[in-house]
Amino acid sequence: MSGKAFLVDTTKCSGCRACQVSCKQWNNLPGEKTTFFGGPEYTNPAELSAITFNHVKFFPVDRSNPEKPVWTIMHKKCYHCEEANCMRVCPQHAISRVEGWVVIDQSLCIGCGACVNECVYNVPHILDEDVKRYGAEGIIKKDKSYKCHACMENPREVPLCARHCPTGALTYGERAALVKRGLARVKEISAEYPHANLYGLEEFGGLRTLTVLKDRPEKYGLPVGEKAKAIDLAKAEAIRDTYAFLSIFTFGLPSLKRVAYRISKSMVG
Amino acid sequence: MTNHWIDIKNSDVIFIIGSNAAENHPASFRWILDAMQNRGAKLIVVDPRFTKSASMASLYAPLRPGTDLAFLGGIMNYALQKDLIQKEYVVEYTNAAYLVNPAFKFNDGLFSGYDAGKRSYGDRATWTYQVDDKKVPRQDKSLKDPQCVYQLMKKHYSRYTPEMVERVTGCPKETFLKVAEIYTSTHKPNRVATIMYAMGITQHTVGTQNVRALAMLQLLMGNMGVAGGGINALRGESNVQGSTDHALLFHILPGYLPAPDVKSHPTFEAYNNTAPKTEDPMSINWWSHRPKYLVSQLKAFYGDAATKENNFCYDWLPKKSKGVPFIVLFEDMLKGVMKGAFFMGTNPIVGGPNANRNALAMEKLDWLVAADLWETDSSIFWKRPGANPTQIKTEVFLLPAAASMEKEGSVSNSGRWAQWRYKAVNPPGVAKTDLDIMDLLFRELRELYKKEGGKFPDPILKANWNYIEHGEHEASPHLVAKEINGYTWADKKQVKNFVDLKDDGSTACGNWLYSGSYPGKNLMARRGTKDASNKIGMFPEWSWCWPLNRRIIYNRAAVNRKGEPWDDTRWVVKWTGSKWKGDIVDGGPTAGPEAKNPFIMNNEGVGRLFGAGKVLTDGPFTEHYEPMESPTTNLFNSQKVNPASAILNEVAGQFGNAGQYPYIATSYRVVEHWQAGAMTRNLPWLNELVPDMFCEISTSLAAAKGIKNGDRVRIYNARGNIRAYALVTERMQPLMVNGKPVEMIGMIWHFGPGCAATGDACNQLTPSIGDANTMIPEFKAFLADIRKEA
Repeated sequence: MSGKAFLVDTTKCSGCRACQVSCKQWNNLPGEKTTFFGGPEYTNPAELSAITFNHVKFFPVDRSNPEKPVWTIMHKKCYHCEEANCMRVCPQHAISRVEGWVVIDQSLCIGCGACVNECVYNVPHILDEDVKRYGAEGIIKKDKSYKCHACMENPREVPLCARHCPTGALTYGERAALVKRGLARVKEISAEYPHANLYGLEEFGGLRTLTVLKDRPEKYGLPVGEKAKAIDLAKAEAIRDTYAFLSIFTFGLPSLKRVAYRISKSMVG
Repeated sequence: MTNHWIDIKNSDVIFIIGSNAAENHPASFRWILDAMQNRGAKLIVVDPRFTKSASMASLYAPLRPGTDLAFLGGIMNYALQKDLIQKEYVVEYTNAAYLVNPAFKFNDGLFSGYDAGKRSYGDRATWTYQVDDKKVPRQDKSLKDPQCVYQLMKKHYSRYTPEMVERVTGCPKETFLKVAEIYTSTHKPNRVATIMYAMGITQHTVGTQNVRALAMLQLLMGNMGVAGGGINALRGESNVQGSTDHALLFHILPGYLPAPDVKSHPTFEAYNNTAPKTEDPMSINWWSHRPKYLVSQLKAFYGDAATKENNFCYDWLPKKSKGVPFIVLFEDMLKGVMKGAFFMGTNPIVGGPNANRNALAMEKLDWLVAADLWETDSSIFWKRPGANPTQIKTEVFLLPAAASMEKEGSVSNSGRWAQWRYKAVNPPGVAKTDLDIMDLLFRELRELYKKEGGKFPDPILKANWNYIEHGEHEASPHLVAKEINGYTWADKKQVKNFVDLKDDGSTACGNWLYSGSYPGKNLMARRGTKDASNKIGMFPEWSWCWPLNRRIIYNRAAVNRKGEPWDDTRWVVKWTGSKWKGDIVDGGPTAGPEAKNPFIMNNEGVGRLFGAGKVLTDGPFTEHYEPMESPTTNLFNSQKVNPASAILNEVAGQFGNAGQYPYIATSYRVVEHWQAGAMTRNLPWLNELVPDMFCEISTSLAAAKGIKNGDRVRIYNARGNIRAYALVTERMQPLMVNGKPVEMIGMIWHFGPGCAATGDACNQLTPSIGDANTMIPEFKAFLADIRKEA
């Protein structure tokens, strides 16, 4: 895998959420209406959404060693899988690879939810209603799937999330170099965190958002092994074919499209 | 900061106390992590809560709010008992060897000279040194004389045992000892600790002594003046350093010249007579230059009107008859002493202590002018919840102000770097810069004085006020900056720096400390990225730093008496025998290290382990006192609160005790909101992240009170009763204090009744009492109760 990538280092993240905010700024995404906090500790909103492409998750503090409590704060965005489920199952071929990144073309997207269904990371989301852009003209259209596009839609030298990270917890660069740096970091911290690892080397053929973790991936809800393998190509094609047939009966209604997709999937098994 | 942000990367131990830098100064962690990763530096975080900073720490130690002096006194005792101090540095560069007046005494929490009736130390006549016949302090460099500072200190702090630290602070003894061990490892010349602190240190009735304790520790370790060391105040706003340098506070004129006082400085001569003096040939005593700075400042204020014959119009300067810090200001407002007020960049009904009382005080004003980006909580105080607008007579004017990116000017960061910023966009509509607002206001007032006369028009009519460039119609920040730098009066040539300033009226200078920032070219606008010859990350060509572009102050202490750096791998300055290399050396380039003492702003020329003279109002050594509102008794002495802290009669009835309000409350900020929130609570991206007022409590307090995460709660005491969401978290833990568990309620203080995201203000609960020296309010430790909202 050549090309660019992100490296998330959870041992360096202080949870300032400059990434979450600067992504909204660069992409003119509106703020979400929240109350109190949507997830553990300061997590807000609860998850990624159609208007939140970068998200910072605050895990509950682990006090199993009271002398050294561990509080993990993790930046999350699209992992840009090399073998991306979303891409494989999209019946419209609306999802493609741009300079290595997995990018949705909303002009082709029909809002069927195939990508939402198949992404184990819960990254793409379909927007329920039109929303106004914030800080710019125009609307963000409903019934389309949205997620991080690594600033491919409005390119810049370094994506703003990484540009604004004050501590070096989120960096951007050549994947090969970041892999090297991530592995070296894991080695550095392994005395303090014996289960430290670099996540994203193997999963889904390799991820473009690599994460230095203090503990096993499962602890942070990240799949490994069989659960992190891409959907079989033949199966994906069969689902797409079934969907192509069923979609005749959806009358262009997104809600019915989503039902049709789920039926297609269960028919293929 | 004595040092600066980048310099943190040179530290071996980073000691954060009274600061949640990861939350409030996120960029600092770039350098902290750099030191940890590249030097193997250890990060110690001492905080009542397990904060974001604590989550990055090598070692976290909890402590009860308001017990920093017990903790820090404990470290001093540890260092002194185990002889973990940098002896040569301590003997040469601190007053450890100085002999103290034998009449100086300390007994049961009181130093000699206390007047209980006045709650103050009066003349402090015994807080002095023994002097020889030349009036030079006597010393015993063997440190054996029982009356030397070192011995007195050793005795004073012997009571601060690890056991006492644990009982008072709630920090387990083992954890405390680990902190002490790691920190004191830097007493070796080749190891350095930095101390980073913020409002968790200062906002207490013992705030000044807290800072002093940090400075004393750094002196004992030999960590002042060196790379990776210093004591570093992390300032709470982008330009709070600049505004303090330019006399935002009530007790100073620009450049830390004392504000004239009716009693001590009735005349020009009396003012100059109070300039610090010394007979010690080793002392540079920089403040002896003070008369030059005052005269040049008067010349900048009053121009041609300021002459030698009229003492440069010294008599025109307002003189204070009492100190008027925030708390007293608002008490005066409540009494109707003042008719009107200007609020510029301030939001007191969210940011001030005892906020309900501040709002009542504002109702007494005939008029209020607020210069803000938009309506803030304070500018709409007359329609706050519970207020009856028909009963409030105050007329409020809102002047639309430009935001920081809509104007040009300098911003001084915590590291004392004055960085020039350009305007990115024009202000919207008719909004104006603060400078322009003040300029228009001044000129309008001057016209009125011209037309109508007035009681004392001269200081206004004859003021030297010309900030509009020829052909322009708006005040220019460049003209202000040039005046701050200073110029010769006769031919209006910019001075090179404050060494050129004179006390004869031939020079004008707005602020001596910034003299050298605009000597012709605007050095604050520099963006050079070349490092200095010592390669420690000073970047002397980036912006400009006060004083004289010196990046690490007290840098004479970075070398021994021979001029050799304590640590050659990160040297700051070096003496070659005839000149200095590296950073701009303190106190002038000609005197060598053997000839002059390094702490040039003290008249002894050395660091004060014993706070001699009248600099401090509450004691030459630090001593633990409880916060005004505390859940326990003082185990160190029978004084309760700092005996020199002023308790105003007007609010004495509002203080509570643990019987009424059993929980310690404390206040703090989150990264998403800015101070009193007026700038951030209208921004949807930030309101998405922290939309509501919330408090943090432990799972045990939550269980005891039947509160679940996300529940609405009431928090209350005699001063207020507020609503909040409860965040129940493992990051809050009860502490064992004097054998009993004590619970805590942590609150953010960003919310108020105005702006898009509203909420109750934490400061409705905070007390009207402050530090004995500065009267900074005790925001960080008070009492409250909590219940689930029905």
